[in-house]
Amino acid sequence: MKETTTYFKKHPWIGFVIFGIVLAMVPQMAAWGLFKQGYITTIGGTLIYAIAALGLNILLGYSGLISLGTAGFMGLATYISAYLTMDLKLPFEVAMILAILIPTLVGILVGLVSLKIEGLYLAIATLAVSEVLRKTFEELDQFTNGFSGKSASYPLLLGRFQLDKTSTYYLIVVVLVIIMIIVSNLMNGKLGRALNAMRGSEAAAQAMGVNLLTHRLIAFALATMFASVAGVLYVHFIKFSYPSSWILKLSLDFLAMIVIGGLRSIYGTVLGAFIVFALPDLFLKQIPYFENLSYVLNGLLIILVIIFYPNGLISIGHDIKRLFAKLKRGGKTNELET
Amino acid sequence: MSSKLDMPEELTLKVEGLSIAFGGLKAVDNLTFEIKKNEIFGLIGPNGAGKTTVFNCITQFYKPNHGTLLFRGHGDEVTDLTTRPVHDIIKHGLVRTFQNVELIRELSIIDNVLIGGHIDYKTTTLSQALQFPKARAEEKKYRAQAENILENLGILDRKDMLAGGQPYGILKKVEMARTLMARPKLIILDEPAAGLNDIETLELAKMIRKIRDTFDCAILLVEHDMRLVMDICDRICAINFGKLLTIGTPKEIQSNQAVQTAYLGVD
Amino acid sequence: MATFLQIILRSLETGSIYALAALGIIIIYRTSNTTNFAQGAVAMFNTFVVTYLFNRFGFPLWLAVMGGIMSAIVTGFLIDVLILRHTKKVSPVAKQIITLGLIMIVVGMAPIFFGVDPLRLPRLIDSGDLNFFGASISYNGLFNISLGLAIMLLLFYVLQRTKWGLAVRTTASNEYVARLMGVPTKTVTMAAWGIAGILGVIAGVMTAPMTSVTLNLMDEVQITALVACVLGGFQTFHGPVIGAYIMGIARNLLLFYVSSVWGGQILYILILIFIVFRPYGLIGKKVIKKV
Repeated sequence: MKETTTYFKKHPWIGFVIFGIVLAMVPQMAAWGLFKQGYITTIGGTLIYAIAALGLNILLGYSGLISLGTAGFMGLATYISAYLTMDLKLPFEVAMILAILIPTLVGILVGLVSLKIEGLYLAIATLAVSEVLRKTFEELDQFTNGFSGKSASYPLLLGRFQLDKTSTYYLIVVVLVIIMIIVSNLMNGKLGRALNAMRGSEAAAQAMGVNLLTHRLIAFALATMFASVAGVLYVHFIKFSYPSSWILKLSLDFLAMIVIGGLRSIYGTVLGAFIVFALPDLFLKQIPYFENLSYVLNGLLIILVIIFYPNGLISIGHDIKRLFAKLKRGGKTNELET
Repeated sequence: MSSKLDMPEELTLKVEGLSIAFGGLKAVDNLTFEIKKNEIFGLIGPNGAGKTTVFNCITQFYKPNHGTLLFRGHGDEVTDLTTRPVHDIIKHGLVRTFQNVELIRELSIIDNVLIGGHIDYKTTTLSQALQFPKARAEEKKYRAQAENILENLGILDRKDMLAGGQPYGILKKVEMARTLMARPKLIILDEPAAGLNDIETLELAKMIRKIRDTFDCAILLVEHDMRLVMDICDRICAINFGKLLTIGTPKEIQSNQAVQTAYLGVD
Repeated sequence: MATFLQIILRSLETGSIYALAALGIIIIYRTSNTTNFAQGAVAMFNTFVVTYLFNRFGFPLWLAVMGGIMSAIVTGFLIDVLILRHTKKVSPVAKQIITLGLIMIVVGMAPIFFGVDPLRLPRLIDSGDLNFFGASISYNGLFNISLGLAIMLLLFYVLQRTKWGLAVRTTASNEYVARLMGVPTKTVTMAAWGIAGILGVIAGVMTAPMTSVTLNLMDEVQITALVACVLGGFQTFHGPVIGAYIMGIARNLLLFYVSSVWGGQILYILILIFIVFRPYGLIGKKVIKKV
């Protein structure tokens, strides 16, 4: 048993692929009547949010920087992709690349301004930028259709394969698994160590050759990139984008996902997305004021988790394992445990 | 430009006229000293003498107001350190340790050591993201190097344990391992004996000598513990109020009047 | 000329609101070492309290405001005692996240307590205008400006001239050393949160009559206050206040002369560009970290 767990630890991508296979079974479960059809939309949406949240985790969890602009950049990507595919009739792949590239470039510009000084400035700068973006979505209606919202359709891959709801869901799962693998590869290697060093001790990081500005920019660029990917998937899955979606509340929800689920944890991020988004949407809709209550609950959870359980709820599994191991050994602590 | 970078062959660091002031207060005043290759060089002075400021200036955490800092690093190349940004210093072969042992609690010991190898990695981020063969091979190579160093210091068995929660003595060794990953030409030790008892200090002395011999580097020892300093240093520089008192061998320092006065009452 | 004067006068009023909010942020920043992102949300909540007392319970306006101030003090104390006290081991970034979580709690609770319909809060001084070289300003506006200035002058006086002010400044400078020297830092931080709450609700009560009392009431003030701290620098108490007035004036000038739609956003972008050249703000100084 121990050899298998070590093998999984050494090759995390296997776990992610298996996870993806499980997720891919959802439409089939719905077809068999075990899930309602609406579950596909909810879970698909949750996975999309998880992609954006993974980006934010690189920025906050590993690098210790707060961004309040995740929703704004995600929204920007939705409008760009929708406009390019619907109005300019560009192929999906081209639209996708541009919808990822442009917000990332904007993100890098914002990063260049705010990351030179202190991490704190990024939070305020992204707050201001997301406000500018929100106004843009409302006012620039030749591109965004203003308050009426912009519509898009399911992706048309390689000019030939028209996807529907279920196949777009599969696309989302594939993208999520790829991103989980990439994040795992990066964060377990040189970049992850550098970002951790930056977060843990700027002085030590610099003494070890880590250029703070460059690495802050890389983290922020990755976060914006993933938010953009999420945006593209969103608008071609939900098929609509409204300015009222891309507000501070959503950026705070992303924060909640990674704090509650687990900073610096990939599975934790997905867990957090389920807790913050899927749970209320699937099970709590009946309770009056459920949206407000879940907002209060998420805020409360953030505070409680940060103070009492800083590694997030994902580490509950880890702690249960350790508890069992301790009980097996009769209560003696084993120092060599990680 | 190249004539300014002239330094005798046997020197590894040349500090000349180093000065820095904070808000009108001169923390370091016109300090000059030299460190030879493979030398164990001590920097001593009472509390507040400016020792920390001196090596923060050398490592470019502070930008000095005046002075030249010539350093002979990798490939015998001479650099003027004042022209480099702080994160570039290690590239030339100058590494420092931290009195507060700034390790990353959430990372394993070997990951902490690998941070020391950060500058050596050559593969691109994309290649690492997709784990191309070159990236995998590179990671393997540096991991082996890190394990080697940990074994040298006797703590290989702890390599996968988290740094947070380790005993202080272990942490100091991990930090030393991290420093050695960069194959330094000059190591600045920031009060390495702080918090160690007599036996641990003796072990530290042995380790420092071993490192100097095995890794072919010079060591600048900034320290309070006089026994350690007198024991292992080849030469010592004593400062007070940011100014040079004297430079000499341990014997010469011990009998120096100015040093005695400055240290009256301090061990 | 008269229009320009008009704009300036109006800006002094909005500038006062921004300044009060910015003061609330900087007081907490310098005593608890936390950036309170929830300043605006809590202020919104307490303004709802005022509006509720006035509308549903028929309190006279001044009494309702007193009620809001009481509520602000209580909420401030609760936040400090229930939450911030337990954050000794928590990093500054995590503390900011806590205030972000606070936003979620407050914004989530407000509709449950106060309903979802927008409410109206009247001006403190109902009507009447003063004529000033062809420009007019309402008595209410004059009152707001004067009240704002009075509060700020009072705070600055207390900070610079009294024992309590010294305690605050010492805690702000170095909490650990202040505690060692016998400064009651726990009381100082609690008082700071209470004062920040009061500043917030006053800013809210001044803002409310211009629009209506909704969840988004203080959103714009909050962002502006934070940017004002960036503009004025986080190292002093007066820097953000100056930054706030500058932003108030610049915003109205931009709205009127450049774009009535994009004025506010242009201001944010301009300040972000300004930061490139003056990273530590108009007045701020670079903090040299000890290594």
